[in-house]
Amino acid sequence: MKTTFINKLTELMQKNKDIVTITADMGFSVFENLQQVQPKRFINTGVTEQASVSIAAGMALSGYKVFFYAQAAFATMRCFEQLHLDVAYNNLNVKIIGVNAGVSLNQLGVSHFSVEDVAIMRTLPGVTIFTPSTPYEMQWTLDEAYRIDGPVYLRYSKLQAPDQPKSPSLSLGKPSLVKKGSDAILLVSGGILQIAQETVALLEKKDIAIAIYSMPTVKPIDKKSLLTISKNCKIIFTLEEHSVIGGLGSALAEIFAEIPNGPLVKRFGIPDTFIGVTGSARYLLAYNGISPEKLAAEIKKILAKKV
Amino acid sequence: MTKKDIISLEKVAKEIRALTISMIVKAHASHIASSYSIVEMIVYLYEKVLQINPKNPLDPNRDRFILSKGWGISSVYAMLAIKGFFPKKLLEEYCTDGSKFIGGSTRNGISGIEATTTSMGHGFPVGVGMALAGKLQKKEYKVYVIISDGECDEGSTWEAILIAGHHKLNNLVVLVDYNKWQSFGRIKDVLNLDPLADKFKAFNWHVQEINGHNYNELEKAFLAKSLAKNKPNVIIAHTIKGKGLSSIEDKNEWHYQTPRENEIAEAKEKGLL
Repeated sequence: MKTTFINKLTELMQKNKDIVTITADMGFSVFENLQQVQPKRFINTGVTEQASVSIAAGMALSGYKVFFYAQAAFATMRCFEQLHLDVAYNNLNVKIIGVNAGVSLNQLGVSHFSVEDVAIMRTLPGVTIFTPSTPYEMQWTLDEAYRIDGPVYLRYSKLQAPDQPKSPSLSLGKPSLVKKGSDAILLVSGGILQIAQETVALLEKKDIAIAIYSMPTVKPIDKKSLLTISKNCKIIFTLEEHSVIGGLGSALAEIFAEIPNGPLVKRFGIPDTFIGVTGSARYLLAYNGISPEKLAAEIKKILAKKV
Repeated sequence: MTKKDIISLEKVAKEIRALTISMIVKAHASHIASSYSIVEMIVYLYEKVLQINPKNPLDPNRDRFILSKGWGISSVYAMLAIKGFFPKKLLEEYCTDGSKFIGGSTRNGISGIEATTTSMGHGFPVGVGMALAGKLQKKEYKVYVIISDGECDEGSTWEAILIAGHHKLNNLVVLVDYNKWQSFGRIKDVLNLDPLADKFKAFNWHVQEINGHNYNELEKAFLAKSLAKNKPNVIIAHTIKGKGLSSIEDKNEWHYQTPRENEIAEAKEKGLL
């Protein structure tokens, strides 16, 4: 994802002279080339997330489309008030890139985990939220981030799913079919799609066919498309590398709560607790109930109850 | 500056104070003292410094002015009305139900308002962004920001100072309204800023200290030869909170209270109401 991100951003910057990239001192082994080819429109503002977001707003007020890059935790939580007042309120062309979202920085612990970012960003009116799961989706979301006239939050973790053999047709706010299945549907945001695919493969062996949809946009969500894919569905599952509070699962639950006889929404994600241990990202997710085996068992159990 | 010039500026300042107290009394609003302490700076900037045109308020080459201490916005609204950005009559809406004339500087379509500030430590770095953009676009405009002294407590203020110094933003002029009061007490008692000039110098800024109510000193500070060509400029303006109405001068309660009988009587005596 890192390579796709930087290649695409570099391409966008070469093509569009109105893009400025600001990093809060992040980007070792990412931005070296960009710094060389765009020495003026690439600015390292140092470890100053709060002022950097305000500066990005000031530059956007002066006609630039500013991509601001930082660890997801610091790109959102450290400077949330700046995002709220300077960027979102003014509906500015600031594109926040939150890298290493979720538990990507597995060895560094809770300071560097970012499982609340989507939740807090969803509360800001007018902010489009992207969670690409594949390199192809990363390219599409960056194109969209540039195209959209307004603030964007794009977050990704170290997990990524492989591109599909045939590139899907992506559209803002709409689910993108990854795999067909008739027993239930699983909607996924981000590279954790990889784990969703492994989960569904395990269930397939037990003759349970789950459809998978990727949700590269978490806000806004196109309600009509969502209702179309969930028609006749009694339960939908969601999966994200994020707290079960406030992310994709919550967004869908909010929609279906207002649909008479709508499906039950079962959310998989990081439970409402802090993670006080270290380990590989896969370990940390499994520790929180997110592994293909655990998810498959849970889905099977829920479906057996014939909800 | 000639005596005639000063009389002319004083006339504008008096009108701003009059419009401001009318707005605040009518709306039972607060922050009159914050608005009064910056009046001379506002007058000098709008009358002598800022290259702006009320008929073309979004000219890409205009100078930018940001009131980072946005809670003092009433005097800026008054100045903008005097300059013709909008009719003075609209000032009557200040802080009334449904009005866009909010008590904190808000970029909501009011002509001449460049940024949404008022939360401390926002307007200054937004101004840094505008100055960086001006450099990148090779534009001649300058960015002027008034910050409060209390606002210098904020981390983002010091981030902005560090960044502007590093990037040698000579198109940025910051004025500190150093009235020595912050929200809950004297600056020296709550979180001492002194030596403030030395702090800015250490962050690679060019520093001047003036009496922020004195037009001759303001004029001198803004002379081309007084401003550094290779670094950002800060003018630490020593001011008196509530300047212009002795009953509220240098008293922190006027950060919060609406003028009552005594203050209104003094304002009437001075021809402000």
